[in-house]
Amino acid sequence: MKYIATTEDQTFTIEIRPNNQVVVNDESFAADFQSVAGQPIYSLLLDGQSYEALIYSRESPIQVLLRGQLFDVIVEDERQARLRQSTGGVQAQSGEYHLKAPMPGLIVSIPVTEGQDVEKGGNLIILESMKMQNELKAPRAGRISRLRVKPGDSVDQNQVLLTLI
Amino acid sequence: MFKKVLIANRGEIAVRILRACKELGLQTVAVYSEADRAAVHVRQCDEAYLLGPPPARDSYLRGDKIIEIAKKSGAGAIHPGYGFLAERDDFAQAVIDAGLVFIGPRPSAIAAMGDKGVARATVASAGVPVVPGTEAEGNLSDEQLLALAPDIGFPLLIKATAGGGGKGMREVRSLEEMPGLLQAARREAEASFGNGNVYLEKLLLNARHIEFQILADDHGNVIHLGERECSLQRRHQKLLEEAPSPFMNEELRERMGQVACKAARAVDYLNAGTIEFLVDKDENYYFLEMNTRLQVEHPVTELVTGVDIVKEQIRIARGRKMRYSQEDIRLNGWAIECRINAEDPYSNFMPSIGVLNSVIPPTGPGVRVDTGVFAGLEITPYYDSLISKLICWGETRGEAILRMRRALEEYRILGVKTNIPFHQRIMDSHRFIAGQFDTRFVEERFAMHEANAEREQLTTIAAIMATLVAHRESQQAAEIIRPATRDTSNWKWVGRWERMQR
Repeated sequence: MKYIATTEDQTFTIEIRPNNQVVVNDESFAADFQSVAGQPIYSLLLDGQSYEALIYSRESPIQVLLRGQLFDVIVEDERQARLRQSTGGVQAQSGEYHLKAPMPGLIVSIPVTEGQDVEKGGNLIILESMKMQNELKAPRAGRISRLRVKPGDSVDQNQVLLTLI
Repeated sequence: MFKKVLIANRGEIAVRILRACKELGLQTVAVYSEADRAAVHVRQCDEAYLLGPPPARDSYLRGDKIIEIAKKSGAGAIHPGYGFLAERDDFAQAVIDAGLVFIGPRPSAIAAMGDKGVARATVASAGVPVVPGTEAEGNLSDEQLLALAPDIGFPLLIKATAGGGGKGMREVRSLEEMPGLLQAARREAEASFGNGNVYLEKLLLNARHIEFQILADDHGNVIHLGERECSLQRRHQKLLEEAPSPFMNEELRERMGQVACKAARAVDYLNAGTIEFLVDKDENYYFLEMNTRLQVEHPVTELVTGVDIVKEQIRIARGRKMRYSQEDIRLNGWAIECRINAEDPYSNFMPSIGVLNSVIPPTGPGVRVDTGVFAGLEITPYYDSLISKLICWGETRGEAILRMRRALEEYRILGVKTNIPFHQRIMDSHRFIAGQFDTRFVEERFAMHEANAEREQLTTIAAIMATLVAHRESQQAAEIIRPATRDTSNWKWVGRWERMQR
């Protein structure tokens, strides 16, 4: 199976062969790869070199926490990569974005109003949880289409707080 | 003399106090909220009583209930730990009024140091230098503060009179932005402490936050246990502490230590306390505040002095003389503490909640872990995000750093995101290794993704590992949808099976 892995603006062609052979950009390695005790911890022996990493694979990009450093890796098989190339590789920047509460807490303040334009990284909502005030920021520029909470509200985890278009 | 101690706290500090009590042969009483039934302190204390629902105001802040439980259970003393009721003079007084011993300072000292304005006026009159500001002038209106600000000079800090831990604190760079920041600070102070009063203080640039541990007994003895370097902070929250400070020299330590003891004597201090100073690059030091309690970071002092501060607290509370005089205190080696918080350093230190699937703490020479968590425990949003303190000792600062690197790599906490990668980056940072940092370092001159040679090499490994995981998952998905393999048609098989059932 051939995959294209992209991280830190670098692209790797990685082929996984039977018998624990991994070919990275035409270089071949012996790879022994195991998950540890059913946890998202993985151990890799690559030509005898030992690496251990925490890997979160539920969403793309896959997050790899390796020796205290975090890497976001997008992994596609050949077909997916071809498909993306043919559509020009442009990620949709439009569509609705629902800001969800990352944890239960109390809405302290909302520095934006409905209909307001916000910049990427602008503060949308101040949520208090674990005795800290946390700033929830806009992941991209857009307009606030709907506010679903008001200051003083208690919110549950993953509750939608506002919608950005 | 009391034989049973009620521990009015939770988490790692409750466990820490419990350990001291056990070593002294004292009976222990735990209190807990509904969220903490399975907590370590509840299971390991001799007795445990429910306080109420999870929010702190319904449980760990219920001073009346705690005193009632102490009396009912026959506890002779209450240790408040840090946070919650630790710096409430009315609670300390109520404990004493109930005929119990409060393991901490006298209520009058808590009150004097608790109001920052009074604190600074008190120590200033004892000849201790303080940072220029308006704290001694009482509670001023926004108009008065705006009028005084140019005299103090920018940048300056707005601080909450009743505050602590960075709450209600704002930094002001110019007069124009000050009105908005004043409002924000008052709002936060009101929400956190029920008191919206604020004052202004000059912001010292390139300043270090250095604090002195004090012990004082009821026999007139006041000693200091040297300093702790607490400059590595983010939004005024300490993240990493060390003892001694790489900035300190013997002569300055002696001078500041004496001043710290003087400040403690000024309020007739008893038990353990901490005097915080800001120190500029020319070795000018200013009194910041006094914390009238056991500090989160007390273990670094314990490791370099050999003094068990909690046991000494209990000894002092029993009315006995301290076991040490100033001459007995010698600093041996170096200790560093990393606060392990349930926070994601890759997304703006956002708190992370969830169930801890697995916790494997580091062990081995020179490593100490103070914690109250275990696999299966849920990290809830009700309390702060500190889940563990990792403390490493070394003969030299260099050895302590290398040991901390090793211990951080061993530490495995799964289920929530932690700031362990942040500490690993700090341990690799040249400026930290060289001791070149101040209170602004984390916010202004530090990045989680710093290009380095190791990262170059690890990028390939990360790509391989991610691909192997993706491959494994797509294989597993294929297993699930693949039809069962039988040598006959499934229709035929069902027919035979049905006939067999007749």
